[in-house]
Amino acid sequence: MIARTSPIVALAVRAVTPIALVVAAYALFAGHNRPGGGFAAGLVLGAIIVLRVLAGLQQPRFALVWLSIGGVIVGLVSIAPLLWGEPLLDQVVVSWDVPLLGTVKSGSALIFDLGVVAIVVGLIISLLDGLDATSLVGGVRTPVVSRRPIDVAMHDDREATT
Amino acid sequence: MPYHPGLLIWFLLALHALFVVVLSVLGGRLGRRALWVAAIPMAATAVWSATRLGSTGVVTAGFQWVPGLDLALEFRVDAMGALLSVLVSGIGALVCVYAVGYFSAGAASMGRFAATLLAFSAAMVGLVWADSVWTLFIFWELTSITSFLLVGFKHADPVARTAARRALVITAAGGLSLLAGFVLFVDAAGTARLSEISPITGSTANAAAILILVAAATKSAQFPFHVWLPGAMAAPTPVSAYLHSATMVKAGVILVAVIAPAFQDTDVWKPLGLTFGLATMLWGAIGALRHVDAKLILAWGTVSQLGLLFTLLALGTPKATFAAISILVAHAIFKAALFMVVGEVDVRAGTRNINELSGLRRAMPMTFAVAVISGASMAGIPPLLGFPAKEAAIEAALGLSGAEFWIVGGLIIGGSVLTVAYTTRLLIGMFGSTEPMPNREIAPRRPAMSTPEVLLAAATVIGFVVLGWVTGVVRPAVVTIAPKAEVYSLLRWPGLTDAFITSMVIVSFGLLIGALLARRHVASGPVARGAANVDWTIDGVGRLARQVAARVQHGSLPLYLATTVVVVCAAAVPLATQIDTDTLYWWDNRAEAVLVVMIVAAAVSATRVSSRLSAALVLGAVGFSVSGLFVAHGAPDLVLTQLLVETVIVVGFVVGLGRLATKFPDATRLWTAGRLVIAGAMGTAVAVALAGSAGNSVGDAPIREFAETAQRDGGGKNVVNVILTDTRALDTFGEVIVLMVVAVGILTLSTKRGRTRPTSAASAPEPDPGPAPARATAFDEAAR
Repeated sequence: MIARTSPIVALAVRAVTPIALVVAAYALFAGHNRPGGGFAAGLVLGAIIVLRVLAGLQQPRFALVWLSIGGVIVGLVSIAPLLWGEPLLDQVVVSWDVPLLGTVKSGSALIFDLGVVAIVVGLIISLLDGLDATSLVGGVRTPVVSRRPIDVAMHDDREATT
Repeated sequence: MPYHPGLLIWFLLALHALFVVVLSVLGGRLGRRALWVAAIPMAATAVWSATRLGSTGVVTAGFQWVPGLDLALEFRVDAMGALLSVLVSGIGALVCVYAVGYFSAGAASMGRFAATLLAFSAAMVGLVWADSVWTLFIFWELTSITSFLLVGFKHADPVARTAARRALVITAAGGLSLLAGFVLFVDAAGTARLSEISPITGSTANAAAILILVAAATKSAQFPFHVWLPGAMAAPTPVSAYLHSATMVKAGVILVAVIAPAFQDTDVWKPLGLTFGLATMLWGAIGALRHVDAKLILAWGTVSQLGLLFTLLALGTPKATFAAISILVAHAIFKAALFMVVGEVDVRAGTRNINELSGLRRAMPMTFAVAVISGASMAGIPPLLGFPAKEAAIEAALGLSGAEFWIVGGLIIGGSVLTVAYTTRLLIGMFGSTEPMPNREIAPRRPAMSTPEVLLAAATVIGFVVLGWVTGVVRPAVVTIAPKAEVYSLLRWPGLTDAFITSMVIVSFGLLIGALLARRHVASGPVARGAANVDWTIDGVGRLARQVAARVQHGSLPLYLATTVVVVCAAAVPLATQIDTDTLYWWDNRAEAVLVVMIVAAAVSATRVSSRLSAALVLGAVGFSVSGLFVAHGAPDLVLTQLLVETVIVVGFVVGLGRLATKFPDATRLWTAGRLVIAGAMGTAVAVALAGSAGNSVGDAPIREFAETAQRDGGGKNVVNVILTDTRALDTFGEVIVLMVVAVGILTLSTKRGRTRPTSAASAPEPDPGPAPARATAFDEAAR
């Protein structure tokens, strides 16, 4: 793959990573009042992870961890209002004054969005994992172990990788 | 905090839940001691319930869950609830003790067993305390699930597995019937509380009556749903002693008892209930007379007794209801003891076949005494608790008039004769012969087994001695469902009444028949044909599903796509007639025209390119151009999301394409034209559908309202996002759960296909650049 063989791509992806993180954070926080939100933030993070995997900078791992964290957050935010006798998913809005930033208004929706971010990232990582992206970009070479007859029909792959 | 008795209900239920969790985590290390731990919450519940026996006071506890739907957890412990939970938890604790003796010292999975038994007990307690029908339903289903686990405890044994599945399918089907019945019931009665019900009539009430009776019949093993009960004998005997004496099978009877006041006046309740009950009573008794396995005889006897209870409750007279609850109490005690006896004989003598058992009277005198006392109680012989209860039933049967007297009364009496007969046959079969058993050592007595047996037998005897107290406990319970029953008592010596004479005739005939049948040698019991039919049906459904799936899920992506397209096109046809041509115009904004040209051009080229990479890129071009359309319409959120999704998809395609040949394999001209037609048809259908529904709009879009709600309740200016995270957060919650399921599915699928990232492969890399690993085949197949 080009991404793996080219140090320029790897360097560029490395350089873009922090920017993507900032963009994702912005999308998450801006979501309440401007375009953005948990889904968008998750996709930005996911996109940078895809690029990093393609450039051989990291492996698509911990998909289940992301998914579980996201699921727990979303679930807790959903049922937490029940503890205070509010209906399911009732949201709490808080606002406080922060130096430099002025009045910051936020709420439990932000935490909910955090969970969404984690789930979207988990989904993208599991896609990469499912496609075995690492071995595709030459990260880990693996032999064919399956003896299923279906593998006979895999001539496509040889063409693709050679 | 002031003391509130309702808190105790929560405390006891929470105690059960806590112990279940602790036992399932740590129980494995405790071995058989886990059973002692499991007995603690049961004993606590039994003790507390015992303090409320016969009391006219009521303890309630409730928690509103979804107020709008009147969904609530509601508990109400009145005299009935207390009486039943004493039986459930008291016998549960005794069964735990008994199980300590029943299992051998090194028995595996004792933690799991104890946890499941306790969970089942908790479900049962919740069921008998439930006041709202929804609460009752939840615990009803919990008993189905936990009993499935208990029956299938020996999961390595295919017989146990099949039996557990059979029980689950039948009782779960009954659960569905119950849910439907409760929905109709609440609709007709106007309340979900059992304590507030009043007689209802009408077609809805009739339908509810049928559904609820069927549900109760599945749980309480009424003919023809009884087939699961004898099979459930595959469970360890402590489970049978618990499930089939005081708990599982009584759930249906209890449901019928507490809900009967509502359906008393419907046309179907009584005939259907009587049909179930009488058929079950006779068929069960006949079954008990035909088997040679002592445990199966008891199982069929249980079926018969449940039929009697069903019959009495369906009769609905205060006398019959009083008799039913009395028998329910007596039965729970003597049947648990009898099952324990059979289990002990099985453990110590090595068989339960009445043809093989002999000489046990001398070898196991204590067990023999327990068996005789409990069996005599079952047969209704004085001076034992079963006698006055049976007497009340006979009196209720004799009190009927007209056709009912001849049919129902006659069958009850006939059934009682058979009950005495199978009891006699069982006792003679197990303990009749005096010769020592050939080639068998009788294992020594285990105190943990005999203690609960003796306690239960003692309860049967003492219950008769303190019959006044028993009446004082049973009568308030019956009064909660049949207020007119407060005039009745259990009598130690009824005098030479018709009922007493009848019952003595019953006993004599029963003893005679039983003694005669016991002498007849039966080599083996009948084959369980009903159970085999159920299994065949269950397997058949599986086979049918596999065949249908094999046809429908053929695995060809082009065919799937074609099916989708055909369906979408067909769905678009009715909308095509609704297009209002006057409202159509070309564009809002010139830029749209340019974008549309770009989209169409990209889409058409997507069908024509032969390189897969190019196809992915032009697809991306379609997506990005569509987001341009959103820009033109001023929808920044959609633009952002669409752009990001397209980005991820394009990059994802690049990853996936590495697995495939660079060109499409079948790039013939015909196939290219076919793709163009499919894509064109799909696009046209969607466009037609949109145009059609646009002409059909109902009122203004609620945008202003949403914007206001967003500011007020959600505190945000981005209406779309506030809708997602607040106004319709439940939808978002569901959607992200779907995402999670998809992700887990991907991981599972790719793992199943032979995950080839073992450490050995990593440590010994192949020098050959090699073909891609096998796990990608799922993707290959899909892409082909």
